[in-house]
Amino acid sequence: MSRLTLEDLTLAQGGRTVLEHISGTFEDGAITALVGANGAGKSTLIQAIMGLLSPLSGQVHCSMPKERRAWLPQQLALDLTFPMSVEELMLTGRWPTHGTFKRYGPDDYRHMHGVMQRLGLSGLAHRPLGELSGGQRQRALLGRTLMQEAELLLLDEPFANVDTHTVELLCGTLRDIANAGATVIVVLHDMEQLARLADCVMLLAGGHAQWVEPETLLERHHAPARRHAHAQAPFISLNLPDVPPCSTY
Amino acid sequence: MLDLLTTLDAWLIAPLTDYAFMRRALVGGLALSLAAPPLGVFLMLRGMSLVGDAMAHAVLPGVALGFVLAGFSLPAMSLGGLVAGLLVAGLAGSVSRMTGHREDSAMASFYLISLALGVMLVSLRGSSVDLTHVLFGSILAIDDTALWLIASVTSATLLVLALIFRVLVVECLDPLFLRGQGIRGGLVHGVFLGLMVLNLTAGFQTLGTLMAVGLMMLPATTARFWSQRLEGLIGLAIVIAMLSSAGGLLLSYHLGLPSGPCIILIAGTIYLVSALCGRHGSLLARLRRRAAPLEKHEDTCTSS
Repeated sequence: MSRLTLEDLTLAQGGRTVLEHISGTFEDGAITALVGANGAGKSTLIQAIMGLLSPLSGQVHCSMPKERRAWLPQQLALDLTFPMSVEELMLTGRWPTHGTFKRYGPDDYRHMHGVMQRLGLSGLAHRPLGELSGGQRQRALLGRTLMQEAELLLLDEPFANVDTHTVELLCGTLRDIANAGATVIVVLHDMEQLARLADCVMLLAGGHAQWVEPETLLERHHAPARRHAHAQAPFISLNLPDVPPCSTY
Repeated sequence: MLDLLTTLDAWLIAPLTDYAFMRRALVGGLALSLAAPPLGVFLMLRGMSLVGDAMAHAVLPGVALGFVLAGFSLPAMSLGGLVAGLLVAGLAGSVSRMTGHREDSAMASFYLISLALGVMLVSLRGSSVDLTHVLFGSILAIDDTALWLIASVTSATLLVLALIFRVLVVECLDPLFLRGQGIRGGLVHGVFLGLMVLNLTAGFQTLGTLMAVGLMMLPATTARFWSQRLEGLIGLAIVIAMLSSAGGLLLSYHLGLPSGPCIILIAGTIYLVSALCGRHGSLLARLRRRAAPLEKHEDTCTSS
């Protein structure tokens, strides 16, 4: 089943057409990797799916309510100097059910403690946001989306500047979220992470999208050789006209 | 001992028991101190500390217009100030959204136009004495109408702030998250700016248009040196504002100085002292903190 479909989508950013005729179906419970060079339109597509950017033509069919879509952008809008603790940040994830007025009850706190334990944040509940490391911050933000009980997760390079332990944890949690039936879309550059995480890959290049199986992409790019080349900057060539399309599309 | 009590009474209590205008000024000042500092805390956290100042300037032509049309009438001047302030805030917001320019540049442009208009209006009709009143406030002018106005503004501000508190916090912290939830941050921002204008207008009688913003910002920036929690910041800012109001009024009474600058200078002194020896980020705290990591490092070395 799918609750997110793109239909012949054309998107522009600041008067420049970024993506043209994008179509595709994101399956429930699948993790889709969004791959493409800088400026290929990954963030633009995410904004359109979030409903923050109206398409020039075509449509985003998303049957998940707006408040159940969670977006972790790469460039955080989060103000880290704001005097707020991890616990308080996570509780803001209760927005869909609590809005401006409803009080947080014991259930919310119980849920939050569960999420914190799962993400290894239990000792950091009262730590101010400004004192968190990159990995801890990313975990706290994922914690907020878990509190939100998001059905659609859009993550823009969630593993950038994050320690390996956190990467493990985030990958596991994302898989659990997907297994629970959510649609997960992750922007990835690293082939190793793509190999571990993605069920399906959407390649963006030259303003167009192409769906491929992760294995095909990895074979093509000799992923085994790259798996140990952590120091090397991830690089993906984007001329792939002969790659067979992904079966989920 | 008795001497000390008499002196204290003469300095602190007698001005209030002897003069009704001092009592009114104190009540007005305390009421202002209840509503303005929380707004200042949010302004500071949003990186908009100077926007308060811009808005204070923007209020001026409205106040001046009220003065030109109706003389030294508080309702007319307040209403004028409110309209001018909201107009500048609204125009700046619209222009910034339309052009994509940053809001502060639009606001700077509009408040300067507004300020020039205000000064021109006052100089066309009034004497320089009147202008001083408008700019720096006069506690003698606080009558019951003024008190009612201040009390109403304070009540309304606290009520609205309570209603929008969570959304305001989330908007400050992560505007993108709020947008994702389908809430338009612009509306929250607009209501917030409206509250700010309302408080600046209420404050101009005691403090003057330009000084009113001081009671909003200085307690907030001072509190930052003492607390890292939002509740702490707001609570402390209110206490600091109240102390400054009471202290400033007494100082202005005893030394025969204008009340606005006195109140703000007391708040400013508290700020400077806090910057030197506050708990967080002050000069003293920095000196202390510089030594701490080394000790910790030594500990871990010896234990391992």
